[in-house]
Amino acid sequence: MKLKRYLTLTRAGIIESLQFRLSAFIMVLGNLLYLIVVYFLWRSIYDSAGTDAVGGMTFTDTLIYLVLATALFGFMEMYAVWEIGRSIQSGQIVLDLLKPIPYRRYLFWSYSGSFVTQFCFTFLPTFLVVALVTHGAIHFGLNLLFFVVSVVLAVSINYSIDFLVGTICLYTESIWGINIMKQVIVLLLSGATIPLAFFPAALRQVVNCLPFASIYNAPLTLLLEPRPEPRMVLETLGMQLLWAVVMNILSKGFWRISLRQITVNGG
Amino acid sequence: MTPIIEIKHITKEFRVLNRREGLRGSLQDLFSRNYKIVRAVDDISMEIGQGEIVGYLGPNGAGKSTTIKMMTGVLEPTSGEILVAGSVPYRSRTKNAGQIGVVFGQRSQLWWALPLIESFRLLKDIYCIPDAAYQEMLDFYRSLMDIEPLLHKPVRQMSLGQRTLSDILAAFLHDPKIVFLDEPTIGLDVAMKARIRTLIHALNREKHTTVILTTHDMGDVDALCRRIVIIDKGRMLYDNDITHLRGFFGAYRTLKVRMDGDLAAQAAVIRKELPDCSVTADEEWISVLVNEEQARVLDVLALLQKTHDIRDMQLQEISTEEVIKKIYEEGVQ
Amino acid sequence: MEHRSLRFYLRIYGRILAQDLKSKMSYRADFIISTIGMLFTNIAGFISFWILFGSFPSIGGWRYEEILFLYGFSLVSLTPVQCLFDNNWNLRSSVYSGDFIKYCFRPINLFFYYQSEVFDIKGLGQLAFGIGTLCYAWGKLGIAVTVLSVLRTIIFLCTASLIMVALQNAAAATCFWIQNSFYVLDFVTRFKDYARYPVTIFSPVFRFLFTFVMPIAFIAYYPSLVILRPDEVPLLSWLSPLFGIVFFYLSYRFWMFGAMRYSGTGS
Repeated sequence: MKLKRYLTLTRAGIIESLQFRLSAFIMVLGNLLYLIVVYFLWRSIYDSAGTDAVGGMTFTDTLIYLVLATALFGFMEMYAVWEIGRSIQSGQIVLDLLKPIPYRRYLFWSYSGSFVTQFCFTFLPTFLVVALVTHGAIHFGLNLLFFVVSVVLAVSINYSIDFLVGTICLYTESIWGINIMKQVIVLLLSGATIPLAFFPAALRQVVNCLPFASIYNAPLTLLLEPRPEPRMVLETLGMQLLWAVVMNILSKGFWRISLRQITVNGG
Repeated sequence: MTPIIEIKHITKEFRVLNRREGLRGSLQDLFSRNYKIVRAVDDISMEIGQGEIVGYLGPNGAGKSTTIKMMTGVLEPTSGEILVAGSVPYRSRTKNAGQIGVVFGQRSQLWWALPLIESFRLLKDIYCIPDAAYQEMLDFYRSLMDIEPLLHKPVRQMSLGQRTLSDILAAFLHDPKIVFLDEPTIGLDVAMKARIRTLIHALNREKHTTVILTTHDMGDVDALCRRIVIIDKGRMLYDNDITHLRGFFGAYRTLKVRMDGDLAAQAAVIRKELPDCSVTADEEWISVLVNEEQARVLDVLALLQKTHDIRDMQLQEISTEEVIKKIYEEGVQ
Repeated sequence: MEHRSLRFYLRIYGRILAQDLKSKMSYRADFIISTIGMLFTNIAGFISFWILFGSFPSIGGWRYEEILFLYGFSLVSLTPVQCLFDNNWNLRSSVYSGDFIKYCFRPINLFFYYQSEVFDIKGLGQLAFGIGTLCYAWGKLGIAVTVLSVLRTIIFLCTASLIMVALQNAAAATCFWIQNSFYVLDFVTRFKDYARYPVTIFSPVFRFLFTFVMPIAFIAYYPSLVILRPDEVPLLSWLSPLFGIVFFYLSYRFWMFGAMRYSGTGS
């Protein structure tokens, strides 16, 4: 695998996303607004509760968790299901398959450019602001390293899930329906909308057996833990690695089988 | 007769963003942008009478669709005046829309999912076509071609040719005064092109509809238009009869002859015999371009027959395509 | 400009709708999947509240049932924007590709003609879910069912709908000026998620902002106060129908202004 040709895709993606300065501004504004809503919502929720910590999380913990979850979402969501679905419906997929790069990899690297811009323009500023505002709530130590490793794994799992779901579009025309189901399930069960700590115990056990928790809950938990126990770190990262491998195999396999079916049936 | 379309000195300018190149350029664009003014249409005037078919020609980006958008009322000219059927199109767009029909070769304006007959019924309501006139029009269509297979087919299932036919029928349905056809035969096969030309011709003759046709296919022009207008870079190059156009570059015809032996060598001989004509040779033919103001083609042929053993001959008129190409490249002096 | 009667437009809309539904039925799978997807989002919202109220007693003095009422109210009031104005989502791509020009050549109102092209039936699933939630909350809260209260509910649901439609029209119309207006539309669409919460949880500055600058509070909060807490209805609630009409009219003018100014990219 020659890295250079993939980096070309990255560069093109950066240029493309810089074209739209207004949309970048609006995205920042949208996230800001969301953060305000989240802040006041949870402020009043905690006020009503009357206690400092609920489910092991203080107000500050919850806030950091949700804010960073949003920032992570901004840069992990790549609308791959849409891309694959559209490509299939328009017939463009035939051309994409003819490219000298495997489609799965091609799509990922086309997005990598917006990863970089999103990371620099959304995630990093958000992270710094949160760190400053909550002064000291985020521990700067080894946990940052674990976080980064965990995010990389999370991106991989998320992409595999996206690609898996996108493949379904080979069988149905309903891209919107497929995509919204995926999004809802991922956001709710990964703990992106409500931290998993607040889930009822039974539900939490079910969720822990699914891959979604590895996308948002795992990296954020690692980040918020100032002095993580080695066992907990290993368990979390191990679980993520396991899911990354499993989902990768599943999505590749499903794609291959589906594609064979398409070529046999002639699309 | 008063013209149906009157255009006086219209000009249209656009403001276009200048994008910089490369990664650094995009970063610069993020913070400062510079615009330039582009004049898409530059001082164009013409008058078009009721019932004319006018070929509106020009290379890509010449300003054709900008002019048409101004005539349909979608765009307001930067300066100048337009009158379409007595009113100013951009000021009374809806009223103007009731008197015109528009067809774009590549994009259908019909309801994608509906069978054609349902689209027709909707259009009947939208254009407030009286029942009698609607029936009469459908009967007229039936007399022109077999429309039954089209009527009950959803537009999205049609072939490109069927879709274009349907779009043209839909554009004429409310018996408009003017129909704008933008590349109606693009991407179609020869037989379908011929059908579409026949249809347009019949509709124009029977309904006396003015047709403004933009196209890159000179076959369309030859089959349909008596008058052509050529623009390039927003400026009017030519507006006159199509027969007049041919005489524009002198009365050239090409005489092609075939003979045995080495053609290139014989062409060299002929070149000496006919110093006023340009002579070229390919694998099969020797071509002699004759200017009829200087020599008659028959005389040239007679001359050649005396000295060469001619096996076969062809006479070619200079085609509209070649003339237009010449005008695009060299302009009109 | 020729003005045609309302009856003329209603008849045409009826025609288009009937034809559209007929042809949609040939895509049954898409319809079913989309409806399920829609229900998924609604149920996820429901579950979030359920999880939240499992750990916390109330949000800023608002009980579970009251919040559910707001939620149901917002879902029902979103139905028109979902069903009737969904073509706004396609506006950007049709402007971008130049296809939008075809709508300009008909002798009827451009806005009407454009919106009439799509009727999104999956919104009906959301409507059913919303009505269910509303009725459930209504029953639990023990609000009397009188002609007056039902009438009020209907009037204020219409108000909320108008405001949401207005916001979306305005957001969609930005594509006549900026290229990547998807983000604007997405930004405004996210408003509906914030509309579920009572505006009282915010600080005065943001309460003002959400009332007058981005009128989110009118989507559910102010209108539903009339039914939920009839003793403490502020003047703004009574005025909201007026605001709805004004906002809608302004957004319509803005949309039309953009469409007229639109000079057609490409051919």
